[in-house]
Amino acid sequence: MSAERRAQVLIGGAIVAAVLLSGIYLASGGSSYAPEKTQDPCKHRPWRNPEGLQQIAEQFSLSALDGAACELGVSRETLARALATQAARERFTQRYGIDDAQLAKAIRAGLLRAVADAEDAGALSPLLAAPLRETLRSIPLDQAIELINNAESLLNNVESFLGPAQGLLEQFLP
Amino acid sequence: MNPDAPRPRVAALALAVGLVLADSSIVVLALPEIYRELDTSVAGVTWVLVSFNLVMALAAVPAAHLARRVGPGRAAAVGLAIFAGAGLACAASEQLSTLIAARSVQAIGGALAITAVLELLPATVGSERRAVAIWATAGATGAALGPAVGGVLTELVSWQSIFLIQVPIALAAAVPIFAVAKHEAATGVISTELRQTGRPHVLANVALAMVSAAIAAALFLLVLLLIEGWRLSPIGAAIVVSVMPLFAFVGSRFGRLVPSARARAAAGAILVGGGLAGLALLPHAEVALTVPPQVLVGIGLALVLSALTETALGGRAPQAIHGGWTISARHAGVVIGLLALTPIFTHDIAQQRHDAIDAGTAVILDSHVPPLTKIDLAQRIESRLEGEQGKVPTIGSAFDPLPSDPEERDAVVQLRDELQEQLNRAATHAFSPSFGLAALLGFLALIPIGLARKSEL
Repeated sequence: MSAERRAQVLIGGAIVAAVLLSGIYLASGGSSYAPEKTQDPCKHRPWRNPEGLQQIAEQFSLSALDGAACELGVSRETLARALATQAARERFTQRYGIDDAQLAKAIRAGLLRAVADAEDAGALSPLLAAPLRETLRSIPLDQAIELINNAESLLNNVESFLGPAQGLLEQFLP
Repeated sequence: MNPDAPRPRVAALALAVGLVLADSSIVVLALPEIYRELDTSVAGVTWVLVSFNLVMALAAVPAAHLARRVGPGRAAAVGLAIFAGAGLACAASEQLSTLIAARSVQAIGGALAITAVLELLPATVGSERRAVAIWATAGATGAALGPAVGGVLTELVSWQSIFLIQVPIALAAAVPIFAVAKHEAATGVISTELRQTGRPHVLANVALAMVSAAIAAALFLLVLLLIEGWRLSPIGAAIVVSVMPLFAFVGSRFGRLVPSARARAAAGAILVGGGLAGLALLPHAEVALTVPPQVLVGIGLALVLSALTETALGGRAPQAIHGGWTISARHAGVVIGLLALTPIFTHDIAQQRHDAIDAGTAVILDSHVPPLTKIDLAQRIESRLEGEQGKVPTIGSAFDPLPSDPEERDAVVQLRDELQEQLNRAATHAFSPSFGLAALLGFLALIPIGLARKSEL
């Protein structure tokens, strides 16, 4: 093989190898191998098999987080981490320039959305939903956060609400 | 080789070149360890590498002139002594600033030693061409072996041992050179006549700088991805990145079959760019997937570096000065590559860290783990994240001990694996734009290669 031919083969081989490698990696998903994107909290997320109090409580919390995050214009995940501790909450309010009143308003909106979602999923009867909404509209911030983090306690009370409805109202009304 | 050439002296000269050029990359695998031990940032630790290469780039040509004025024997001996002394200072450094200062002094000594050696070699082996070949091979061997040796020493002993081991090696290389220095001192003769310095080959040196930037980025980024992103040990990472020098050897064999330096340089630049593009498009966090891109980069670097160095030095005199220009171009390229890419990938790591935490939180929120376990895990993970500000987090220990209930344990293990997958995705994706930019640098080197006259390259 002549020297010129060898030079052509070398350059041709290099081009083929480079294109082949990039093509195979691209076809195998190389351009999209990144952390999964979080879902828009303003979009409705269907409840998954709400069976049993624990699962309903969990779905309720997630719906409430979605609603509050949508109101604040942040992701559900960011808000969940912000509500985990007092220090995280302070960092969050500082970073996004919001005060406690705005946070409380957003969380109340989230809890109301959770009640609506629970109703839609057949996990909460309309009879219970109406007074629960009234209660949640004026709930203080700390209690609202507690409800998101531990919705089971709320729903436990909702169950007892079937009997003496006053119990829940007494607990949450100012 | 000149049959009268004293073998110990030739070996000592080659050893000096290999040692100094290995130092350009030997700390790459130790950087994560230095980064943790000296409690600095990724951008800060990069300067351990940048300072050496920057000073080398700036000092190479003046050092070559100095070596020709004071005598290459004396210059090489003094250069090696400075290199060894600064190595001791590097090992004794307890702060990043002193380590960077010592590395800079090491580079001055190194530049003086290797340019002087290029002046000594032709007289020692009896042929300028043979001297360039020995010089280039010793340099390539040192640069290729550097990262692996550094990784092994870091894991088995400490990062400080990388510098300590250089001291006796530098002194051993200096001993036969002392004889030349002594002869120069006794006779007052500076053996090489001070010939007129010709113009350096600008296009070959520009191409060298661009390719070196791409290769340095490849090595530096790949090591950081393996150790900091995928959590491999320094020895593990050393084994993985050994693919590159191994295939550089294969590439040098290939190169001998093609006489055209232009074709070798072009093919090499395409392979380096293609390999880096492959690293930018890794489809999974899998060590094996880094092998094919490394094969391309390894073969490519051997082809392009030898072709461009030969062109930059070929027929040009004096060799030390033109050798100084090639050293300067290569090390300037390394500095440009590191300085241009570090801010990009540190920003990308921060962004991907945020995205990974969001994705991880979503995984926790949507998992089938009982709510109380979720809250407990979320708090433990949160505290780990706070403890690793700005770094790619490790979360495995946050899951220990696993729950005793088998069903809950399975759910927690699944959650841990899903979280780890999100972190792997984030770590891998964080490096993609930087690898992509390095690939572009490799491809852009085709412009000066193409512009060079066919007779020159």
